[in-house]
Amino acid sequence: MSLLSTLRSLVSALFHRSSVENDTEEELRTHVRNRTDDLERGGLSRADAERRARIEFGAHEKFKEECREERGGFWLETVWTDIRFGARMLRRSPGFTAVAVLTLALGIGANTAIFSVVNAVLLRPLPYPDANRLTIIWSTWGKETRGPASGPEMMELRKRMPAFDEIGGIWATTGTITGSAEPEQVRLAFTTSNFLPLLAEKPQLGRLFAPGEDRRGAAPLMILTDGLWRRAFGANPNIIGQATRLNGNDFTVVGVLPRDFKLLFPDGSGVVADVQVFIPFLDDLEKRPRDVGFLRMVGRLRQGVTVAQAQSEGETIATHLRSEAKEYADQSLHLTVASLQADDVRLVQPALLALFAAVGLVLLVTCANVANLLLARSGGRRHETALRAAMGAERTRIVRQLLTENLLLGCLGGAAALGIGWAALKWILALQPEGISRLIAVRLDGWVLAFTLGLSILTGILFGLAPALSIARGDLVEVLKESGKTSTAGKQWLRQLLIASEVALGCILLVGTGLMIRTFSSLLRVDPGFHPENVMTFQLTFSGSRYRTVDSAINFLKELRNNLEALPGTQAVGGVSHLPLDEGKGNWYSYYWMDGAPAEQQNTIMADHRSTLPGYFRSLGATMLEGREFEDTDDAAHTHVAVVDDTVAEQLWPGQDALGKKISVEDSPKGPFQFERESVVVVGVVKHIQSHTLTSKGRGQIYLPVPLAPRPVYSIVVRTTEPVETFRAYALQAVRKLDKDMPISNLLPQMDYVDKARAQTRFVTVLAGALGALALFLACIGIYGVTSYSVAERKREIAIRIAVGANSADVGKMVLSQSGLPVVVGVLAGLGMAAALTPLLSGLLFGVRASDPLTYVLISLVLGAVGALACCIPARRATKVDPMIALRCE
Amino acid sequence: MPSQAQILPGTLDLLILKAVSLGPLHGYGVLLRIEQISQGALLIEQGALYPALFRLVRQGLLKASWGTSDNNRRAKFYELTSAGRKRLREEADGWNRLAAAIASALNTQPEEV
Repeated sequence: MSLLSTLRSLVSALFHRSSVENDTEEELRTHVRNRTDDLERGGLSRADAERRARIEFGAHEKFKEECREERGGFWLETVWTDIRFGARMLRRSPGFTAVAVLTLALGIGANTAIFSVVNAVLLRPLPYPDANRLTIIWSTWGKETRGPASGPEMMELRKRMPAFDEIGGIWATTGTITGSAEPEQVRLAFTTSNFLPLLAEKPQLGRLFAPGEDRRGAAPLMILTDGLWRRAFGANPNIIGQATRLNGNDFTVVGVLPRDFKLLFPDGSGVVADVQVFIPFLDDLEKRPRDVGFLRMVGRLRQGVTVAQAQSEGETIATHLRSEAKEYADQSLHLTVASLQADDVRLVQPALLALFAAVGLVLLVTCANVANLLLARSGGRRHETALRAAMGAERTRIVRQLLTENLLLGCLGGAAALGIGWAALKWILALQPEGISRLIAVRLDGWVLAFTLGLSILTGILFGLAPALSIARGDLVEVLKESGKTSTAGKQWLRQLLIASEVALGCILLVGTGLMIRTFSSLLRVDPGFHPENVMTFQLTFSGSRYRTVDSAINFLKELRNNLEALPGTQAVGGVSHLPLDEGKGNWYSYYWMDGAPAEQQNTIMADHRSTLPGYFRSLGATMLEGREFEDTDDAAHTHVAVVDDTVAEQLWPGQDALGKKISVEDSPKGPFQFERESVVVVGVVKHIQSHTLTSKGRGQIYLPVPLAPRPVYSIVVRTTEPVETFRAYALQAVRKLDKDMPISNLLPQMDYVDKARAQTRFVTVLAGALGALALFLACIGIYGVTSYSVAERKREIAIRIAVGANSADVGKMVLSQSGLPVVVGVLAGLGMAAALTPLLSGLLFGVRASDPLTYVLISLVLGAVGALACCIPARRATKVDPMIALRCE
Repeated sequence: MPSQAQILPGTLDLLILKAVSLGPLHGYGVLLRIEQISQGALLIEQGALYPALFRLVRQGLLKASWGTSDNNRRAKFYELTSAGRKRLREEADGWNRLAAAIASALNTQPEEV
C-alpha cells in the first residue's frame, strides 16, 4: 500500500512536476486567503487581516520546500533539475561543449572500436556448443611440438583418456568436384564421424555423420558447407541424397552445414578455416602406421574436468605409449592439451592486448584534455557556485551538481563515440588481416554498448572530479571579491600537471607506435629467400581416372611447362608442391639424417620436404648457392637426387661441401602417400626460403624431383613480364588446352602471399599509428588550449610588462618557457615510462629492440616540435598585446 | 528547540489523523477542526500543517482529492484511508497508554511508594 502510493507520488513528481508544483502553491495560498477572510470577519481591516494571516502562516517558501521534499521522488527530482541545469550550462557555451564532446567522442570511440575487436576475438566464446570444454591435442614428436597424431595414436587416446568424452580427428587437403559444370577444386577434409558434431549443433539441411560411418567399407558420404552448396549447387534443397563426384568417386551428400559454420583452428594446425567438403575417413585408422602423424585432434573435456587435469592425464598416456611401441619411443612422443579458444588466439592476443592498452592511454589523454578545458572554464563557474554557496547551497550539493553536469558531458561524448566507434570499426574490418579469422564476428553488441556506457560514466567522473572539487573549494568572500575574472595561481600548477601527464602518456604511446613502424619497415626489408616481384602462381589438382599413374601427371606438367614457356613475356617456369608463405595447405615434413647415421642420430631433426619441378628456383628467384637445379632426367630411373637448403647443409655438414653427400629422406617414388625411406645424393644447395612466416627462420627444406615424390596438388610458378590479368587469361588457356577438366585455383601473384604474411603486423602498425596520431593531436590541442588560455588570462600583466618596457622577445620567451616546461617534463617522464613498458611489446617486435635509441630520439623530437608549435601561436599573440587596449578593457 | 521539533511532527500527525477522521477536510479546515477539538489549547504553526499532510498522503494514510469548499473556492480535501484509520487507532491507543502511565506516575502520592 505504502509502496504503491510512494510510487504514485514519484511518478506524479516526475511527470506532472509543474502541475503538482502549481497545486501546492494554490493550496497554500488558499489557506492564507481563508484565514484572511476569517480575520476580516473578526473586525480587522482587509490589509491588516492579510498581514496577520501571512505572519500566522509562517515562512511560505520554507514550507513549500518541505512539502516538495515530503512529496517523494525528491531525490530523483533534484537529479533531473541538475541535468536540466547542466544541459542549459552546456548550451550556453557551445564552443566548449563542442570541443569537449568531440574530444570525448574520439577517445571513447577509439576504445569502443578496439574493445569490439577484443570482445569478438578474445572474450566471446568460440561459436561451438560447449566451447569452453573444447580442447586441441597436440602431439610432440622429438623437437616438433604442435604436431599431428597418427591414426593408432588417436585411437589409443580415445580408448584410454577418460578426461575426454569425445576425441575427433581431421585431416585437410584439397580435392576436385566434377560432374556438374566446371570442375571445381575444393578444400576437402577427412574427418572422424564424431568430428563435426563436436563443432556444430545441427546442420541446416540433412544430418551430420553417424558413429561408424568413418570405418573402412562404409558408404561414401559427404557434407557441404553453406558457401559451396550455394555456389556450386545453386542452394538446391534437394541435394540431400544426391551423388556427387569427388576425386573421381561418387559420394552421397547427407548434409549442409549452417551458414555461419567456420573451422577456427590455430595457425600452424594445417586446418584452414574455409574447408568446403567434409568426408569420413573410410579407413581403419588404428591400422595406419604409428609414426605417420596427420590427424589434428579436438577433444571435448568431460564435464568438470580441467585442461590441466587432461594435460597430466595426457602425459601419463604418452609415457605408457612410449613404453608399449617402438615407434612412439623412437620419436619420444608427448601430448599437449590446450583450450581450443586460448590456442586459437595465442598469436593475436599479445597484439590485441597491446592495442587495448594503447587505446586506454588515449582515453587518459582525452580525460586530461577535457579536465583542462573544464579547469579553464572554472574561472567563471567559480563565481557562480560561490554565489550559490552564499545563498545556502551545501558544498556536497554543488559538487553533485557539477558532477552531474560532467556525467552529462561524458554521456554526450559516449553517444557521439558510438558513431565514431562504428565508423572506426568499419575501417578496422576493411584492414582485416587473414590471421585474425574471428574478426568476422566483430559487431557492436550489448557488451560493447555496456562497455561504452560504463566508459562514458567513468570518464565523466575521471575528468570531472578534480575540477568540480577545485571549484567547490575556496574562500567564498575572496572569490566573490575577485569578480570572477582573474584566476588564482593555485589552479595553474594543476593545469600544468595535466599537460605534463598528457604529454607523458602520448609519449609512451608514440614510442610504442614508433617501434611498430620500425618493425613493419624491417618486415618490408626482410629477405624471404626469393624475389616475389613479377611472379605468378596457380594451383592444379591431379585426380580422377586420367591421372591414375604418376607418369600421366608428370607428362602433363612437362607439356604445360613447354606451353607456358612459349607464352610472350615468360622468363622462367617451375612448380612446387607447396608455395612459400601459402598457409592454405597442410605442410609436409619429416625426419632426415645423414646416410649411415647411427640410430640415436636418426629421428632428431626435421625438414619440410617439397616436390619440385625443374625451373622452380629460377622462376621463384631463389638463390642457388652451390650445384644445380633439377632437370627432366632427375627421375626414378636415374640416380635419386635432392636439393637442400643451407639450413640442412649447415646442420649435417657444418663447414663442409654438401654436394655429392648422401642423406636419408622419406619419399614416395611409387605414388602419392606410399612413403619409403631411401638415400639420395645432394646435387644443389639453395638459400633458405621463408616458407611459413617472414620473421622466424623455420625448419630446413629438402627438395625432391616430382618423380621421386609425386603429390596430388602442385603450384605452378611463372616469372613473367605480362600484367596479372593478361597472364591469367594465358594460363587458363594453356591449362584448358591440355585438359579441359583440370581445376585451377589460386591464380595469384606470389606477392599476395608475401603481403598476407605481413598482414598482421601491418594491421597492428596501422592501428597503433592511428592511435599515436590521435594522442598527438589531442596533446597538441591540450597544450595549445592551456597556453592560449593563460595568455588571455594574463593579458593585463603582459600589458603592464610591455608598458614598463619589456620588448616582445621577452614576453614571447616568458610565455614559451612557462608553457614549455610541462611539455619538457612530460616528454622526459614519458620516455622513462616507455623504457619501462615497451619490453612488454618485444614479442611483437621484429628487427628492432624495445630500447631502440633512434625511436626514442625521434619521438622526443616530434613531441618537442609539436609542443613548441602548439605554444608558439599563443606566445606570438602575447607579443602582439597592445598595452593601451588591454589595460583599458579591464 | 530541536527536542520540540522532534516531538511535534508525531503529535501533529496524530492530531491531523484525528481531525480528518471526523469527516473530509481541506487544509484550513484541518486547522480549524484541531483548534475546535482541542478547545484552542494547542497552538499550531499553520504552515507546518502542509508538509505533514503531504507526508501522510505519501505514507498512504490520507488520500487527497480536489473539490469545492463552502465559500466556493477550489480546495484540496483530505480523507482517511483504511490504513490511516488503523494507524489512528494504534497511535491513539499508544498515546492513551502513555498518557495514562504518565498521569498515574505523576499522581503517585508519597505514602503509595
